[in-house]
Amino acid sequence: MMLFGPLVVWLLITIFGPYDVTQGVSSKLLYVHVPTVWIAYLAYTLTFLYSALYLFSKKSKYDSIALANAKSGVVFTIVTLLSGSYWGKQTWGTWWVWGDARLNLTAILLLVYLGYIASRQFNKDLGKTARNSSFIGIFGVIQIPILHFSVIWWRSVHQQASILSQETVASGDAPMSSDILITLLLSVLLVTLVHTFLTKRFRISNDILWDNYLNPKSRAKI
Amino acid sequence: MKKNFIIVLLGIGLIIYASSIIASRNTIYYYTTSETLNIELENEERIKLGGFVVEGTIAKDGGFTNFIITDGNKDIEIIFDGFVPELFQENMGVILDGVFDNDTFLADDMLVKHDNEYVSSDGETYNVENYSE
Repeated sequence: MMLFGPLVVWLLITIFGPYDVTQGVSSKLLYVHVPTVWIAYLAYTLTFLYSALYLFSKKSKYDSIALANAKSGVVFTIVTLLSGSYWGKQTWGTWWVWGDARLNLTAILLLVYLGYIASRQFNKDLGKTARNSSFIGIFGVIQIPILHFSVIWWRSVHQQASILSQETVASGDAPMSSDILITLLLSVLLVTLVHTFLTKRFRISNDILWDNYLNPKSRAKI
Repeated sequence: MKKNFIIVLLGIGLIIYASSIIASRNTIYYYTTSETLNIELENEERIKLGGFVVEGTIAKDGGFTNFIITDGNKDIEIIFDGFVPELFQENMGVILDGVFDNDTFLADDMLVKHDNEYVSSDGETYNVENYSE
């Protein structure tokens, strides 16, 4: 219930929200594309933090949180890629630009975290697996700054940042009409809530796995 | 534990090093119109050329679309034969794929590069100069 509330409100403000007059209705994908990729960054950063915490403390709950965030991050990265691709078809005239650094790096980001989740299956011993996966969780985070600055370092098709740019931060004025900006910030808030409840849900199954691993006797009794 | 920590540091160092090497090569996807003055092109070499469509220069000529693009410094005449994206219009940034024929650029592929401005129908406009150049 807590998960679907913000999800429905987010969909509603996307459907009824304002859009850019030049780009047309497809520019409403701004409310999907931007918040999901930001929250994916947040999720992967949390995966990094909790992976490091797990390596130092070996407490199973940290690994459980790291994995839950990675799963949620993967969901949001897929949504970002799909919405961005559809917007690209409507605006640029193509689904995908192979020479664009940001597009390719986002695809690699998705693959790395799919690899993080897949690496969980490499070994039956959850303790070993969690330790090895933590390294991927730690390395993976380096992609985020590279991805963020990719539009500045490599001149290509993807536009510059509207909100998280030097100009906007320095002038305090985003290159957006205020109604679009407010809708965007609201959708960021809603996606944050979706992420919070989604990770809670993922944590339950992770905790069960850990419980079975740490307390094999209690499982035998049941 | 100590060994793992060294591996992590080495891995982080490696990725930072690799990305700074790539970044310093200044990889570009397209040339601006001014940059074409300084590059040596082999005969019939395909390049990607980016610029803004100059107002009042778009003309249809049979199946071709003729227009002029600029980066504010150098204008280049374009003869385009291909699929025109819906958003193609005056003052819009475009990236074209094609070859030079003397001073004219013959292109058959176009991407419309939209900037980071979002203006809703309430008519508010912003004067923010943050095009990629």
